Amino acid sequence: MSSHAEPHEPGAFEHHGPPPIHYSSRVSPAVLGMFLFIASEIMLFGAFFTVYFFDRVVNKPFNGHWPPEGFHRPVYVALINTLILVSSSATMHWADTSIKKGNRAGLQAGLVLTLCLGATFLATQVIEYHRLGFATKDTSFASTFFGLTGLHGAHVFVGLTILLVMTIRAFRGHFSPEHHHGVEIGGIYWHFVDVMWIVVYVTVYLL
Amino acid sequence: MLRRVRRGSIFQLLGFAAIAAVITSLVAVLVPWLPNPASDEAKRIHFVYWFTTVICIGVFAAVAAVMTYSVIKFRARPDDDSDGAPIHGHTKLEIIWTAIPAVLVTAISIVSAIVLAQNSRTGSHPLVVKVVAVQFAWKFTYPNGKSYGYLTLPKGRHVKLDLTANDVIHSFWSPELSQKQDAVPGQHTSLVITPSRTGTFPVICTELCGLGHALMRSHVTIIPAAKFDTWMKAGGQAASGPPGLAVFQENGCGGCHTLKAAPGANGTIGPDLDKLKQEAARAHQPLAAFIKESILKPSAYIEPGYRDAMPPTLGASIPAGKLTQLVQYLEQSAK
Amino acid sequence: MTELHEHHTAPARTGIRRLTGPGWLRVLWVTPIFFGIGVGLPVLIRWLAHWHPVWKGSVILTVELVTVPLGFLVGIGGFDYWAHYASGRPTVEDDHSSHGAKSWRDYFRVNTDHKVIGIQYVVTTIIFFCIGGLLAMLFRAELAQPGDQYFNPQTFNVLVSNHAALMIFLFVIPAFAGLGNYVIPLMLGAADMAFPRLNALSFWLLPMAGLMLVAGMVTPGGGPSAGWTCYAPLCSHQPLGQVFFNMGVQWAGASSIMTALNFLVTIITMRAPGMTFWRMPLLVWANFTTSLLVVIATPFIAGSQFFVMFDRVLHTHFFEPGGGGYVLGYQHIFWFYSHPAVYIMMLPGFGIISEVIAVMSRKPVFGYRLMALSLMAILVLGFSVWAHHMFVAGMAGWLRVPMMVTSMVIAVPTGIKIFSWLATMWEGRIHFTTPMLFALGFLSMFVIGGLSGIYLASVPIDIHASDTYFIVAHIHYVLFGGSVFTIFAGIYYWFPKMTGRMYDERLGKLHFWLTFIGFNLTFFPMHYIGLQGMPRRVADYAGRFADINLFISIASFGLGASTLVFLYNMAKSWKHGEPAGGNPWRALTLEWQVSSPPPIFNFDEIPQVVGHPYEYGVPGAKHAIFGAPKPEPVGTD
Ligand code: HEA
Ligand code: HEA
Ligand code: CUA
Ligand SMILES: [Cu+2]
Repeated sequence: MSSHAEPHEPGAFEHHGPPPIHYSSRVSPAVLGMFLFIASEIMLFGAFFTVYFFDRVVNKPFNGHWPPEGFHRPVYVALINTLILVSSSATMHWADTSIKKGNRAGLQAGLVLTLCLGATFLATQVIEYHRLGFATKDTSFASTFFGLTGLHGAHVFVGLTILLVMTIRAFRGHFSPEHHHGVEIGGIYWHFVDVMWIVVYVTVYLL
Repeated sequence: MLRRVRRGSIFQLLGFAAIAAVITSLVAVLVPWLPNPASDEAKRIHFVYWFTTVICIGVFAAVAAVMTYSVIKFRARPDDDSDGAPIHGHTKLEIIWTAIPAVLVTAISIVSAIVLAQNSRTGSHPLVVKVVAVQFAWKFTYPNGKSYGYLTLPKGRHVKLDLTANDVIHSFWSPELSQKQDAVPGQHTSLVITPSRTGTFPVICTELCGLGHALMRSHVTIIPAAKFDTWMKAGGQAASGPPGLAVFQENGCGGCHTLKAAPGANGTIGPDLDKLKQEAARAHQPLAAFIKESILKPSAYIEPGYRDAMPPTLGASIPAGKLTQLVQYLEQSAK
Repeated sequence: MTELHEHHTAPARTGIRRLTGPGWLRVLWVTPIFFGIGVGLPVLIRWLAHWHPVWKGSVILTVELVTVPLGFLVGIGGFDYWAHYASGRPTVEDDHSSHGAKSWRDYFRVNTDHKVIGIQYVVTTIIFFCIGGLLAMLFRAELAQPGDQYFNPQTFNVLVSNHAALMIFLFVIPAFAGLGNYVIPLMLGAADMAFPRLNALSFWLLPMAGLMLVAGMVTPGGGPSAGWTCYAPLCSHQPLGQVFFNMGVQWAGASSIMTALNFLVTIITMRAPGMTFWRMPLLVWANFTTSLLVVIATPFIAGSQFFVMFDRVLHTHFFEPGGGGYVLGYQHIFWFYSHPAVYIMMLPGFGIISEVIAVMSRKPVFGYRLMALSLMAILVLGFSVWAHHMFVAGMAGWLRVPMMVTSMVIAVPTGIKIFSWLATMWEGRIHFTTPMLFALGFLSMFVIGGLSGIYLASVPIDIHASDTYFIVAHIHYVLFGGSVFTIFAGIYYWFPKMTGRMYDERLGKLHFWLTFIGFNLTFFPMHYIGLQGMPRRVADYAGRFADINLFISIASFGLGASTLVFLYNMAKSWKHGEPAGGNPWRALTLEWQVSSPPPIFNFDEIPQVVGHPYEYGVPGAKHAIFGAPKPEPVGTD
């Protein structure tokens, strides 16, 4: 069968391109899509927080010690890492406002800085994993620790990939004050990753 | 809309509803849906069941009546291209059919909550039986420290089961007692039973727990309270056999294996223990060593036709002295 | 715009371009490369990190289950546009080269036309329905007698687990997504979905997910046999096939999240002028609520499957009691998705039934607004009842009564829908076409299934009935008598729109009656054996249930065979059916106002919506007008 039978009114139209799209909402589809995606990402983190909650609060293992004796969390290294990630949100914001004002150099500098800060964060995280002294198989404390920070790390990785694409396009001269959707949407995601880290940091390292 | 319904059709509608209600009631009454209860808890659960059934028959009959009536009365002739009456809604009617179900489910909830509370009451001196579930057997331990693969309960006394599991989740259920509770590794759960009728009833594992789940069955025997006290003092039936038999029963081996000498041991998941000699020969090992290895390291030799299904942790959980008794017992009964 | 004249004939590729261009040839060489990456990556990382052993089969396999599908998707062309974008090349927003189908071949490539994707979905899901059903036939054969006959308990459990997983994740959920895909943009007066390429990608994830589940069954070492619910810790101690299961569910979940996101954005941003929320057909409403459920709940099953998989592969202790894990945590997380999932499997069906009953009774849907609001009520309540699956699980005792009450309360909005459908039929002119028969079948069977749900929601009754065949009966009354009947109704109803041809009405009716009778004979007796003491998920059972199980098995073969009538009807009518014309049902909603099948971009001009979609019997009422020079909307609502 074919999906386009006889034309609707033969001869009435020169072409069969789509009619101009009618948008029924002021919010742009891409931005709305990103927010919905973030909603479901929050729920994914929610699942990880839930298992953390059950393992720690409901189950109360290790005679009430959390972390169990002999386990140490590198609170201060992670604090510095937190500052790095938070400042990358600022540089991202700078990049975004720059292009809205037509300042391409600002966009490029902002994106490169964000990229570097993000990569530093991720590298620190990997090195930290190595020096922790415990592995995924050691107790539910370690499982949830690696689970939450690892899930977040994966999101940083995805965020960095998006940033990389934005940077490439920025250097190719793609964005303008009128067309900066890509930067805006990538930016929303990056801010989400940063905010999520603060929640993860507080839960996993401080509480 | 209600006004449009003529009186004649209201009678017809009620007629349909009555027919539907009679038919469903007959189905509800003539089929023996529930097993004959053997505990106070079961009787209360049955009450909730019947209470809900009455309401559901009403709901179903109403729906069936309106549907049948519409199907018969509002059928369009094939050449009829006209449209129906453009009725968009009727606020009063909508309020009614929101309110009535709300009331009905509230009623079911209240009755259920009351029964639930009553069914969790243990009284002041319950008999506490510890239940440990393993793949694929039950172990019931009494206050006097004796354990069995089968459950024996006194009629008329409150019994509290204290359940846990060693490997995965299992679930204790006896259809006649109606009570059910999962046994969860790392946790203790409890279940209250007040037996009300003597007899022997099946105990079934209802949570998928692996290969032998279907055969993880046992039974509960309810005996008069006076008899139960002497049974407890005497230490139960297993005390009459060789010490190895007690170990065999404590660990529920009969759930998976057949052994004629041990009453009730008729499982078929694991090899037939009456043929241990031939099996040892096939494994090229002396009988006693073969038995011991098979308990401690079940994967070392797999009898053809069977699967590597025996829990590897089971052997380690049996104290050394008891293990020796068990091996001796199996060795003797195989000869 | 004029260059777009020839846009949907993608230029024929020649020579090396046939290998590098998107398509099956590229799949053939890209997938092995990704397979290599899947082996190399874990080995490299383990080697760099000095983990031993460097070569760890279960880890490599898990990574493979991510990379191989990705390789396939890259090969078939799921990412071409984005790769193009990412590399910084300029992009053509209106690139329609992969839009629409001219021949059957176009159904086997990445296609961005929602109508093609809709048909791809429906056909794929029916294939998985047949596979899932045939698995049921196999284990029903085993269950015809007590004792082990054809399958050992391990294989039996594999069959049951995959039966359910295929039916749920590869049939019911995506079949609704497929029907929605076809119909929603048309109903809204839009040319396509908001994100056509994402739409194509979500479809192509599906066959991957399905193949993964099927492959899991035949993995050396044994398939997944922990039931579709995969409870920890049993699930973490399963043979290798379990990892296929966990990952297959992830891919299907990802697909359904992407589709839901697409539906939501389309419904919010792409409605034709005048199409307010209160003028949307109820099918659109139903998919709107369902999509909200999917976006919010599905990540939880992703989480749950990750955890058990990590427990198995990385030896974590999320749910391992030995290392401080909490066993019941799994069930809370799983059911926080899987209860809403049962409404994900029902609400779109409610939408379909609203369409069918209104059109076939020639009357407006009774209480339209309350119908929409009750969907929203079910959405909200659906999140507050998950623990009714855990009444006997040993969870916190205080949770039981609140969860019982919320579960019961769901009967109220559901009842509103049932009664409103009945009232829609009242005083109508009912045409007993096949879709209508299935709608009536649904109505009666779903009430039975819903009422058995009420029994289960009552904690004391659930304590007796949980994990018995009473549950199996409930499952099939709501899922088969509910969801599957509505899917059949939807397929018959939109078949003329999709193919331009009418199905064979007599065969359709035969299919309905065979299914309806076979269904009841198969599943009604299960209530009885369940209450009497037959547990679920057992290959062997007490001898006293032998006769009745034999009866059930025979009935189930009849039920299965009824599907043959359906398949034959579809195949035959697609080729040789009577031409259907644009609007065989004389319906008012927008999809029926265009030709069958619709033009490639649905509407040559955007319609102007001026009224409600179900104004049957209202003189002079119109839902939408075409070609009017921007009229003022009539009325305010
Ligand atoms: C389409 C899928 C679907 C739907 C719609 C439902 C709907 C409901 N389900 Fe069901 N359920 C499943 C699919 C579904 N279920 C599955 C797959 C399982 C098993 C999972 C597994 O373990 O494998 C399950 C298991 C399940 C359990 C757990 C049993 C156990 O394992 O112990 C419970 C317990 O409360 C339950 C309850 C309900 C209730 C209260 C509803 C309600 O939403 C029903 C509401 C509808 C009605 C009540 C009928 C219409 C209403 C009226 C006519 C109004 C008047 C009514 C009254 C006054 C009562 N279901
Ligand atoms: C939408 C969901 C759905 C559907 C449609 C079905 C359809 C069927 N189901 Fe399914 N079932 C579930 C969802 C579903 N099931 C779930 C969630 C479970 C719980 C699993 C668990 O415990 O983990 C379950 C469990 C389950 C059990 C319990 C197993 C157990 O606990 O041990 C049984 C037992 O009879 C059963 C039977 C059937 C049968 C006979 C059909 C039939 O309707 C199938 C009919 C279809 C076909 C047969 C295929 C198409 C036909 C052809 C290709 C023609 C050729 C065939 C012939 C000539 C025979 N199912
Ligand atoms: Cu133990 Cu099932
Ligand atoms: Cu539920």
